[in-house]
Amino acid sequence: MAGSSMKDIKLRIRSVESTMQITKAMQLVATSKLRRAKERMENSKPYASVSSEALQAAVARCADQNVPYVTARPVRRRLYIVIAGERGLAGGYNSNVFKAVAAHCGDTPYCALPLGRKAIEKYHRLGVELLSEEYGRVENLSVSRCYRIAGLVTDGYLQERFDEVWLVHTSFRSMMSQEVRTEQLLPVPVTEQKTAESPETVYEVDASEALERVMPDFLAGRLYSALCDSFVSEVSARRMAMDSATKNAGAMISDLTLRYNRARQGAITQEITEIVAGAEE
Amino acid sequence: MAVYHLQIVTPDRMVFDGQAERLIVRTVGGDVCILARHIDYAAPLGIGVARVTDDKGVTRVAACSGGMLSVARGEVRLIATTFEWADEIDAARAAHAQQEAEKKLSAMRKDDVDYALAEAKLKRALIRQQAKG
Repeated sequence: MAGSSMKDIKLRIRSVESTMQITKAMQLVATSKLRRAKERMENSKPYASVSSEALQAAVARCADQNVPYVTARPVRRRLYIVIAGERGLAGGYNSNVFKAVAAHCGDTPYCALPLGRKAIEKYHRLGVELLSEEYGRVENLSVSRCYRIAGLVTDGYLQERFDEVWLVHTSFRSMMSQEVRTEQLLPVPVTEQKTAESPETVYEVDASEALERVMPDFLAGRLYSALCDSFVSEVSARRMAMDSATKNAGAMISDLTLRYNRARQGAITQEITEIVAGAEE
Repeated sequence: MAVYHLQIVTPDRMVFDGQAERLIVRTVGGDVCILARHIDYAAPLGIGVARVTDDKGVTRVAACSGGMLSVARGEVRLIATTFEWADEIDAARAAHAQQEAEKKLSAMRKDDVDYALAEAKLKRALIRQQAKG
């Protein structure tokens, strides 16, 4: 009996060891991807801040006009652009994003533009209408791909297929914490903060026309920076998750080894007793 | 000559952040030249060759497309979709893109949804080659 339990424990140890090898490898991969991803994120930041300022200025200019990108209309349907990962094993990274969407949408009907394979799978399963299913890869998504996505969004918005566009993505705060953000993209929300622009600003074309022209560009830039941000979050979330998984595996192995040694000891003791008992007869 | 603070950004990087004497860029209304103490100004960008003269008087040429130019209180910002310095442009790639776009355009009808897209692609390829010189 002792022999079979020893064998069982040995098998468990082996299987935990191989799991640990995988988690360790994934952790290393995440660590090496992190540096590059962070660099990309830092590079995408200036555009996001500068363009949002210019956007606000133009929006403030034509707040009283009827511009489709600015003027709110009754919301019959929303579009959620959901950025998630390509694979799992990243702690709560994917599920947190989906939870945020579920919490935000309430009863309003919605369609989705999932970016990242996990998001596509999720919304496919839910039976939500998808704008596109071709953006499964989110790592190293190029700027020009973002333009195509932005074009898809603005076209649908102008054709009134949906009346509001929301972006749900994960924002990187530190290696330990990432935060899910839900932001309205269209119609462009007007903030009260004062813009640097003076009312005398000369517009080459009418502000509303300027807005119509640059909106797809700005949207693409916004998506690009959100994607970079999310990818850094994904990688660091995975690194954390794999780090603790590796630690747990290590603890399990040492526990199992202890049990294995005890069982072995027990088996030896029993054998000795049997031999001694045999000799005495 | 007087200089001003110029920032050129594209979605994937900050291309230029420093003092400049002069910026010539193509807007939807044609080429404009921005010098120091320009009036506050905003314009969507077209596709064209841009010229930047820095505070040392060195002029650099670039291919620039899409986005917006904004001048606010002496701060000039070029928020471009693409902005490539001439020395970064791959001439062979641009020539290849031109051929591809031409092939596509000749196979398409004018009212095709992708016609404008292919046309813009061709224009960008041509401007890249022009900037390269």
